Amino acid sequence: MYSVIGKSTPLIDAFAKVTGRCVYGSDFCMDGMLYGAVLRSPIAHGIVKNADASHAKALRGVRAVVTARDMDFPRYSVAGVNFLDEQLLAADKVRYIGDEVAVVAADDQDTANEAVSLIKVEYEELQPVFDTQEAMAEAAPIIHERLGTNIANEMHVSHGDVEGAFAKAHVIVEGDFSSDRIHHGYLEPNAAVARWSHSGVTFWIPTQSPVLAMMTYAKALGIDRNNVRVIQLPLGGGFGGKLEYKLHPLCALLSKASGRPVKMVNTRQDELAASLPRMPMKIHMALAFDSDGVLIGKKTGIIGDNGAYMNYGIGILLSATTRSDNLYRVKNIRTDSFLVYTNQMPTGAFRGFGCPQSHFAQETLFDEAAVKLGIDPADLRLINASQTGDITPHNWKLGSCGLRECIERSTEAADWHEKKKLLHETDDGKWAKGIGIASCLHVSGNRTFLPFFDGSSALVKIDGNGKIMIFPGEVDIGQGSKTVFAMIASEELGVPISWISVADMDTDTCPHGLGTFGDRVTTLGGNAVRNAAIDARRQILDVAAKHFSAADSSGITIKNGVIYSEKGDSVGFADIAEAASYQKAGGLIVGQGSFQPSDVSMVDPFTKVGNISCAYPFVTQIAEVAVNRETGEIKVLNIISSHDLGKAINPVMAEGQIYGAVAMGIGFALTEGMIEHNGAVKNQSFKHSVMPRMTDMPPIKSLLIESNDPNGPYGAKGLGEPALTAIAPAIANAVYDAVKVRIRSLPITSEKLLEAIQGHTDGKDGE
Amino acid sequence: MLQMKQTVTICINGQEYTHEVKTSITLLDFIREKACLTGTKKGCDNGDCGSCTVLLDGKAVLSCMMLAVQADGASVLTIEGLSDKEGLHPIQKAFIDSGAIQCGYCTPGMVMAALALLSVNPGPTESEIRAAMAGHLCRCSGYENIVKAVDTAAKAMAQAVYSGERRG
Repeated sequence: MYSVIGKSTPLIDAFAKVTGRCVYGSDFCMDGMLYGAVLRSPIAHGIVKNADASHAKALRGVRAVVTARDMDFPRYSVAGVNFLDEQLLAADKVRYIGDEVAVVAADDQDTANEAVSLIKVEYEELQPVFDTQEAMAEAAPIIHERLGTNIANEMHVSHGDVEGAFAKAHVIVEGDFSSDRIHHGYLEPNAAVARWSHSGVTFWIPTQSPVLAMMTYAKALGIDRNNVRVIQLPLGGGFGGKLEYKLHPLCALLSKASGRPVKMVNTRQDELAASLPRMPMKIHMALAFDSDGVLIGKKTGIIGDNGAYMNYGIGILLSATTRSDNLYRVKNIRTDSFLVYTNQMPTGAFRGFGCPQSHFAQETLFDEAAVKLGIDPADLRLINASQTGDITPHNWKLGSCGLRECIERSTEAADWHEKKKLLHETDDGKWAKGIGIASCLHVSGNRTFLPFFDGSSALVKIDGNGKIMIFPGEVDIGQGSKTVFAMIASEELGVPISWISVADMDTDTCPHGLGTFGDRVTTLGGNAVRNAAIDARRQILDVAAKHFSAADSSGITIKNGVIYSEKGDSVGFADIAEAASYQKAGGLIVGQGSFQPSDVSMVDPFTKVGNISCAYPFVTQIAEVAVNRETGEIKVLNIISSHDLGKAINPVMAEGQIYGAVAMGIGFALTEGMIEHNGAVKNQSFKHSVMPRMTDMPPIKSLLIESNDPNGPYGAKGLGEPALTAIAPAIANAVYDAVKVRIRSLPITSEKLLEAIQGHTDGKDGE
Repeated sequence: MLQMKQTVTICINGQEYTHEVKTSITLLDFIREKACLTGTKKGCDNGDCGSCTVLLDGKAVLSCMMLAVQADGASVLTIEGLSDKEGLHPIQKAFIDSGAIQCGYCTPGMVMAALALLSVNPGPTESEIRAAMAGHLCRCSGYENIVKAVDTAAKAMAQAVYSGERRG
């Protein structure tokens, strides 16, 4: 039915990437550029008494030094957040080991680094607090005095009669779950080049959202948004970690102070000491089922470790608080959630945005309930699965829902029922095998935490040579959205994809889309590009109608770059583009397209009810593992991964997203996490903060399930984030199936598992 | 700080680059900053990620883990030197066609590692590919399509050798 959509297409920017010619943020250079470095706090909590930068300033080659003592920095936070708890440099207090205290620009990086080491800062140490529950106690040291409490936010969600449901439950399962800070592991560290001039500041940055960057950096620098231009450069990975980041405005500050362009690039150690990793959460959850296996009640308590600053903590906590409730048809819900400041590294958006944490709890408990109820875990999910047309207690309107099909197709592909019975027969006393299942859901655009608008816009420009360029409002961070946008324009305009290029974002020339997060780009950005291409096509057809001397453009078609009249006459697309340009005195055809989903809303500030997205993707994943009882080693033997993505616009890259997310999910489940001691991260390298490598990966079978969402472009929904979420509980459930031990804190290391197998820790169901 | 300097000549992609450099500068920084070839990437500066892999006299090395002075007089091939007038190398072509590239930051290092592997083992099994390239991190792809690409490239190169077209 479509000529381009649904056909695997290589990335349109692959040639530049495979030849080394793609200039990423960390590659970008300018003439006359200086190099910057950051001095970070070595203590977790303290008052900055004095900063002596005289030795640094005296060093040959140093061009600018700025400390917190040098000026009054405006208070700011990220876009849409009202409590302004950050300043560019820690003026009064430092709040975590890594907090930015001073910056230096010099002729070369070595000199900048040396100068930083020459700055002497005097601190008065304050009692730090690292544990969220200790931070919530009345006598705890306060991290942000202006707030007067370490509880940054709390949410209380209630639907139906929870106590009544638990009182009449046939089976109740409950447990405490936790996870660590985890770095995104993008290979390109954060980087910036900034140039301050009389007209304002220009950033060249690898960012997921130039528009949010513009908004936030204007606030942080105390200047008007009109004086901030953000030019986005290609990113070496993002995964949520490259939204607003303090290094960028600090770079601008140094450019202002030195009068020169400045470049700053994080070291890997900076990344693992002072980035915005996944939020650790402690979750207590209880599920109540009736004797038929119907989920009748859900009670949850969540404590999120915000770290030292707010960032997107409220949005992340909200996501953990509400989203997993919509996976199953549960009516009686109560959740009490707290976002708590600690003297640890601030946290931020990371693929899944709170969902991996909450689903780990829910999906592990579903497995426990299945055992107690004597119902197969896949069947228990089928009994409760949400379905197309459902309106959930949170008022989510499920225009499409392929969860049932995800579960059914996964179990079929995994040979689930057979393996559930027979895997145990391979047990040789040392190695035990098991299989586990888990499901999850996500959004396609998240209306909850940015008050401005939902949706996206794009321009499709056609010049007099017939060259087509898309100016999107959204960023390609490696997921392949440029290619998806080009495919969509190719489909609508009837021209080969090779005629189309897609611009990187520039806040001076592109529509102001909100950026790449919340799985919003294909659905919202794709619809915008589609509408812009339709608008451009209409303009081309009007000119073609004149060319054919037709009364109007009805009946005119475009195929493979050739325009055909109703009578069968033909003319080249480029010829008509040229004619159009001449008719407009060299003007361009500019198709404009916007997409604003109807019936999507912010959540109610108190009840948190709101239809936050126009389309909801669903996932089911099955893991098969082998566990060594003597060492606690876990081998993942294979993964089945089913995705209701609405429609696969570019199947090869959709599968690429799934493989990558599964790998990240395996890391989340088994190996990744920051080892923190007294506020310091002890594993500050890839060597010690272990991400899966090629030899760690099992065979993966991905199944693309096309539920054809009414709001998605060609039916497409989000994909990249939920593909991570269900892996950890699927593996945890498989580990239980193998050795009858539950590990409720991630990652499931060999040490934790061995201790539980040997009975030293609580790892048994129902204990 | 007293900085020792030394004049270093390195032949990169067939071009000689001579610079007086601090003895502490890595081969990676020489390639990126002195030769201005930014195709070779810096991911960790610690030998953990493989993004900086180049061929030094035909062998794959982590350019962040050696000093420029150690490469004085040597011949280096980077990603920019791999494609030629005939177009993309079969490994590069296979990476594109297999969907092995997402953000692309690991790609140059992966491609150079694959080149080194196939030069000593032209027909690797899947597990040999995984073992040989385990030093390379990729956070986007889960490695699946990268392994496929190396396998596809090996077959294409063997076919080309068999039919006497080009390159071994």
